[in-house]
Order: sequence, then structure tokens, then C-alpha cells
Amino acid sequence: MKLVTAVIKPFKLDDVKNALESFGVNGITVSEASGYGRQRGHTEVYRGAEYTVDLVPKVRIEVLVDDADADDVIEVIVKSSQTGKIGDGKVWSIPVEAVVRVRTGERGVEAL
Amino acid sequence: MSVASKLSDAAARESAGSGDYLSLRRGLLARPGRPGLASRQALSALTDAWVAEIFAAACATTGHDKGGVALVAVGGYGRGELSPGSDLDLLLLHAGKGTVASLAEKVWYPVWDSGVRLDHSVRTFDEGRKLAGQDLAVLLGLLDSRHVAGDPGLVGRLRSTVLADWRAAARRRLPALREAWDERGARHGDLRHDLEPDLKEGRGGLRDLVALRAVVASWVADRPHRDVDDAVRRLADVRDGLHLVTGRGGNRLLLQEQDQVAARLDLTDADALLREVVGAASAVTHAAEVTWRRADQVIRASRTRYLRGRRPVLRLLGPGLAEHDGEAVLTAQADPTADAGLVLRMAARAARAGLPLAPSSVDRLAADTTALPEPWPPAARDTFVDLLGAGPPLVPVWEALDQAGLVERLLPEWADVRHLPQRNAVHRYSVDRHLLETAVQAAPLVRGVRRPDLLLVAGLLHDIGKGSAGDHSEAGVPLAVTAATRMGFDDEDVRVIGVLVRHHLLLPDTATRRDLDDPATTATVAEAVGDTDVLELLHVLTRADAAATGPAAWSEWKAGLVDDLVRRVGLRLSGASAPPLPPLTVEQRRLAAAGGLAVLVEPDEAVTWTVTVVAPDRVGLFATIAGVLALNRLSVRSAQVRTESEMAVDVWTVVPERDHEPRADALRRDIVRAQSGDLDLTRQLDGRDASRRQPHVPPPAPRVDEAEGASETSTVLEVRAHDRPGLLYRLGRALALMGVSIRAARVSTLGAEAVDVFYVVDSTGGLLDAGSVREVSRLLADAAG
Repeated sequence: MKLVTAVIKPFKLDDVKNALESFGVNGITVSEASGYGRQRGHTEVYRGAEYTVDLVPKVRIEVLVDDADADDVIEVIVKSSQTGKIGDGKVWSIPVEAVVRVRTGERGVEAL
Repeated sequence: MSVASKLSDAAARESAGSGDYLSLRRGLLARPGRPGLASRQALSALTDAWVAEIFAAACATTGHDKGGVALVAVGGYGRGELSPGSDLDLLLLHAGKGTVASLAEKVWYPVWDSGVRLDHSVRTFDEGRKLAGQDLAVLLGLLDSRHVAGDPGLVGRLRSTVLADWRAAARRRLPALREAWDERGARHGDLRHDLEPDLKEGRGGLRDLVALRAVVASWVADRPHRDVDDAVRRLADVRDGLHLVTGRGGNRLLLQEQDQVAARLDLTDADALLREVVGAASAVTHAAEVTWRRADQVIRASRTRYLRGRRPVLRLLGPGLAEHDGEAVLTAQADPTADAGLVLRMAARAARAGLPLAPSSVDRLAADTTALPEPWPPAARDTFVDLLGAGPPLVPVWEALDQAGLVERLLPEWADVRHLPQRNAVHRYSVDRHLLETAVQAAPLVRGVRRPDLLLVAGLLHDIGKGSAGDHSEAGVPLAVTAATRMGFDDEDVRVIGVLVRHHLLLPDTATRRDLDDPATTATVAEAVGDTDVLELLHVLTRADAAATGPAAWSEWKAGLVDDLVRRVGLRLSGASAPPLPPLTVEQRRLAAAGGLAVLVEPDEAVTWTVTVVAPDRVGLFATIAGVLALNRLSVRSAQVRTESEMAVDVWTVVPERDHEPRADALRRDIVRAQSGDLDLTRQLDGRDASRRQPHVPPPAPRVDEAEGASETSTVLEVRAHDRPGLLYRLGRALALMGVSIRAARVSTLGAEAVDVFYVVDSTGGLLDAGSVREVSRLLADAAG
């Protein structure tokens, strides 16, 4: 099993959610996040005052998937969250050793 | 009643074995229709007959039938009301001679065996009295005790002894009862806004009335009766419905059961059910607060009993209003029949002073007050805005008015959202309380906008459409527009309030769901709001609304997105430019040409006057005029000040603080004396300032901004501050001290807040440099603080 994590632009959340649902993903975890990547912070001038925007608001999505689906899920997220502009975010996956569904005690793929 | 007597008769006639009792009980509970007082009394009577039978049979076998023992119902059962799922609260009382262990077994076992839940105790008379003296819970139970079977004299004696002990010790023990009440509210939540309320233990719930009965029993204070008794009955009905639906005891009205309980009570849906609960709980809470305040006053008064017989101490709060013993009261001079603005003035003064309204005064207002003319006069609107900006003390004052039906008379639209629950996990409060809370949250943020009045009124009205069908933002617009028009706002202000209501969710929705880099996103928002003033208002309203909703509605993360959106939209918009000052009238031109000092006073509207001062301009003239107006107790609502060819033409709109008529000759004389140094304005006004009452919740700190690029010939400084007598004098003096001349000024007082714009130049007639701007801004902020 793999944990696919994506950090994307907030307004793309609905698109990604819908795309993952139609792909057949059963559940996702979403959290509010902020950070920066290659774009770094930038400075804006607003009504004469300078604002430094060093941490940009993002949404973080986590999905547990079967090994075989990992690449497809990554592809789905990338496609549905892409705007082509700087700050679109990143997607990565890591191997997961164990997954247990708390209610039933099911393990592994059964628990997804 | 007939049901009760018939059933108890039936129970008494038959040999009331447990089997008969249980089948009669089942039959009673299975009756269709809304449960109510009658069904609780019937169940209580039926149960009385059964346990009395058990008790008699037990006494016969143990030889206790000679008196000296009794079976006592306590708590709710003691009041003769039994809910379907409630425990039987029974006390086996004995005189203390010999043992009653075998009797107790013979009484309790049949009850246990029947499966009916029992809360039992066995006590001697002395034990009962002693425990009641130590433990408030025992005391509250015994205050509601009732003889069921056995020796009636013993029960009567315990009741009267416990009551007499309680009356003797009430002043000492009441604070503990009050503490328990406070603590219960903190622990079990508040029925007025919990989505899954605890009908018994929550604030405003059934237990509150038990405590109030104890206060009343102590003879320290009485409680309101009619509305409260009805409210408590309705809460008990809801609990009966809950017990019947779940088939067990329990007091928390969970979401999953609300629809069924609503159906059992013949209500349309869960919303109607919660609305009933919120309405009843508001009445109970209000009664509890009023009663506790009374009790506190009595206890305080008894501590200073050596001073008894003195006249009541009244501290004046305003015309017809005073503080008495920690409450705002109407004085004998107040005349609600002639003074339609009195309700709002009393509410605003009380909220600013952090005082609750005295119930007797609220009753007097409710009975006698006349309707405000429509549209409201400006003074009434200002007072209303002042009230809304008072911060947290707004809530109890508003709720007291609402309980008396006074809010709906001012704001009929309120009826749509009164006690309206929100079945939504993000919201913490019912709609009406959320609207109040939004005004409370907006109060410390008023410096962030140029129109505090529009912010506060829009905060109060933004969800007013939630009582209507359809999208509540859209539905709220016509309601808000009607209300704002009635309040006397002009067409443009009414339009802005409508925009704020329609778009109050626009910023958070757009910020989290649209691409902020897409120019179309900012363009859409820019078009909706129109100018930076409205954008500012919407931004602050969004924050206040979110803070008033609940912790789940807002986060730093969301705030960051909204801030970013506002910044981007702000770049696309230009500021709302102030309209140009109106041209001079023929009369003003003539006076300016004459060259000397002239003062004109004309009545304006019903309560406002226009004071025109024409004088040779000099540094400090503005301060002098403002100071003289303050000294003559004329509070400035707005002013337009300008200097043309070395002559200042200043037009002031003022309201006399004491309904007196401003006199031109007196104003002129004071200006001359102040300019010659014969009149020390600073000393006079400072002396008056010292006796000024500080607001209970400190208003937010003043704010001074430079409006860059607003004028090519002057530096433009905008001061936003809490209004107070002499504020303009102090601001003008600060400018004069720096040698800065005022070329023009636009002063406005909006409710209790002032927004004053000064167009200034330095001694050479040029723009101020950056350093001077900083220095002058600092001095202005100090002067306004």
C-alpha cells in the first residue's frame, strides 16, 4: 500500500475530490496547510504599505491506495489540480507498512 | 385532572399489585397525543397509589403501622409530576426509634422487581434535617417533598423545619447555590444555543427552575411567574417526548432523535422543536438572571442594614436614566409615553455602562413607550448604533428588551429569526444570538472601516434572511433594506447595507474556491463591491461574522486567503472619493466678504441645529470653535470646514445635549474670549472630562491614517476614534500645536464613533513631509485616546 500526499491550491480541492471519486477512491483526508516552494515568498504593495507573503495557503490531501493504483491516483490528482502556473503544488507517495480499520480490525487492502 | 383522578381511583380500587400498576402505566404512556402536565400528574398519581399500597402492606408485616414512619416523594415526583423515564425519588422517613431495615427491604424490593427505576434513601428526621443543612442537592429535593404514605405529621414537620432552617441560613447559603448554578451552565452548556441541548442540567433548563424555587422559598426574592411556568412546562413536555421516543430516561436531546421527538409533540419538524426549546430556555434564563440579581441586591442591602431607611442612591446616566444598585433604571422624570427614543437611549447607556436593565423599568417601557416615527430621527439612529457598538454588554440588554417584546417593536424583521436554531455543525448560536454576537465581534473592529454605523447595522442584519425560504443572503436584502430605511439611513447607505447583506459570504467563498491569480476572480468581486469603502466593510464584516459563528468557521489559514483576495481586489478599486463641499451660499459669501467674526444659528431638523461661523482664518481657529461648542454642550454630528481667501467658513451640525437652544450671541462671545485668552478652554473641558463616566468595555484605540494622493494641495489625515465631548477641540489643538493649518475638514459622528478627515498644510502652505506626517499622526492619536 502507498500513502499519496498532495499539496495543491485551495480552489482546486473540489476538482481533485470529484476526480478521485470518479476514479473510485473511497476516502481522503484534507487539511489546511501553508508553505512555500520554488516560488518563495513574494512582496506585494497594497495601499502604500508593503506586505510580505512568505507562507502561501495550500490544501493538503492524503489518500491511502493499493500499490497498483498509486501511479494512477497520482496522475488523477496532477491532472485535476493543474493550472500551469507557479504554485500549483506537489504530489508524492510513500510506502505504508500497515493499515487497520479501527471499527472492524480489518488489515491491509481490506481496510482501504 | 380527570385522567389523573380516574387512574388513581382505578389503581386504588384494584389490589394494586405491581402487575396491575405496570399495565396501567403502559396504557397511560401509550396514549397518543402530546404529553403534558396532565399526563405527568396522572403518572404521579398512579404511582402514588401503587407505592402507598406496597408501603401499607410492608408496615402491616413489620409492625410499623403505629406511626413514626412515612414514605416521602422528593424532587420532581415530589412536585406531583412524573416523566415517563424518570426515577422514582423516594425517601423512607422515620422518627429514629428502633430499626426500619426490614421495612425498607419490603418497600424497595417490589419496586426494584417491577423494573421501575428507583432512587431511594432511608433517613431519620434528624438526619434529613442535618443533611439538608449541608448538602444543597438534598435541600432542593426536600423543599419539593410530599407525603405519599404513612405518618403525615412526620413529613409535615420535616418540611417545615427544613424550610425554616433554609430561610434562616439563606443569606449565607445562597451564594453557594448561585455558584452551583454558574458552574452547571459552564459544564452542561446552554439550551439557548446548543444543537443537542441537555434539557435538565443545561443553562435555561429544568434544573434552573428548581434552584429558583429554592430562592423563592427562602423569601429573599421572588421570581417572574407566568411566562416561566409556561416555559418550564414546555421543556418538561419535550423531555417527556424524548423519554417516550427513546424508551428510557435521559435529558440530552440528540440530533438523531429530534425528528421523532418533534413528531411525538405534534410539531412540524426538528427546527420547530429546537425553536420551542430555545424560546422556553430564554424565558427561564432571563428569569434566573433577574431573580439572582434581586437576591444579590437583598443580600447586599442586608449587609448594610444600619443604613436602612435612607433614600435610594441614584447615579445619573442621562436624562430620565440612572444607575441604582447595579442596574439601569428609569427615573421618576422619565416619560416613555412622550419620549419615543427612551427605549434606545436607556439600552445604549446601560450597555455602555455595562449595566443590566432593571426589570421594572423594562416593564414600564413595554407598557408605556410609543413607537418611533418612521423614518427614525437621526438621534434615535445614532443611539441605536451606539448600542450596537457597546461590545459584550449589548447581549444581556438586548435580550431583556427582547423578552419584553420591545425589540420586535423597533425591528419587526427580528420576529423571523427569533430563537431560530441552526442545524449546522459550524454554528454555535441560534440565528438571533449569532446576529447579536456579530455586532459584538464587530465593535472592536470599527477602526478598520470608514463607516462604523453601516458595519454594525449590517452585522446585526446580515443573516436576517435565514427565516425566509431560499438563499438567505438574497432573501435578507429586502428585509435589511426595509429595516435600514426605517432607521432613517439615506438611499446610498441603504444600498451599501443591502450589498453587505447580499455578499456577506462572497469573500470567504471566493477566497477558498476560486483561483486568486485569475483576473476574472478579482474582477467579479470588485464589481460586486464597487469601491474600497464597501470592500473594507465587507472584509471586517466577514471577520466579525466568522468569529461569531464558532471556532470551526475560521482559521488563520482562511483569514490568509481572504486577506489576499481583499488585497488583490483593493488594487483594482479606487477609493470612494468624498463628494466635493457644497458651494458657499449667498449669505456665507456676504459674511466672508465683510471680514469680521460672525456666528449664525439656525434650527435644522427636529433636534439638530446648524451653526455657521465665519471668521478670519488663523492657526487654532478650528480648535477654538470646536471647544466653544463643546463648552456650550453642543455635540457635533457633522461639520464642513474650509478656508477661502484667508476667511474660514465653518458649517457645524450640532445636537444640544440638554435640549437647550443654542444662542449665537453666547457662542460669539465665548469665541472672542477664548481667542483673547480670557477663557481657558483646556481647563474648562478637562475639568468636565474628569467627571465623565468611562465606558464599561473600553472602545478600540484611535487610528490615524494618511490618505495618500487624496489631494494635490493638502496632506489628508483621517482620524477614527470613539466620540466624546471635546474630541474635536483636542484634535484641533494638536494640529495647532504643530503649527499646521486646516484648509478643510469633514467631520462625521456615526453612532458613538467619529470619523474626521483633515486637509492640512504646514506653516508655508505646502504639503507635510513624511516625518511631520508621522509626528502629527502620533499627536492626533494621543489627543483622541
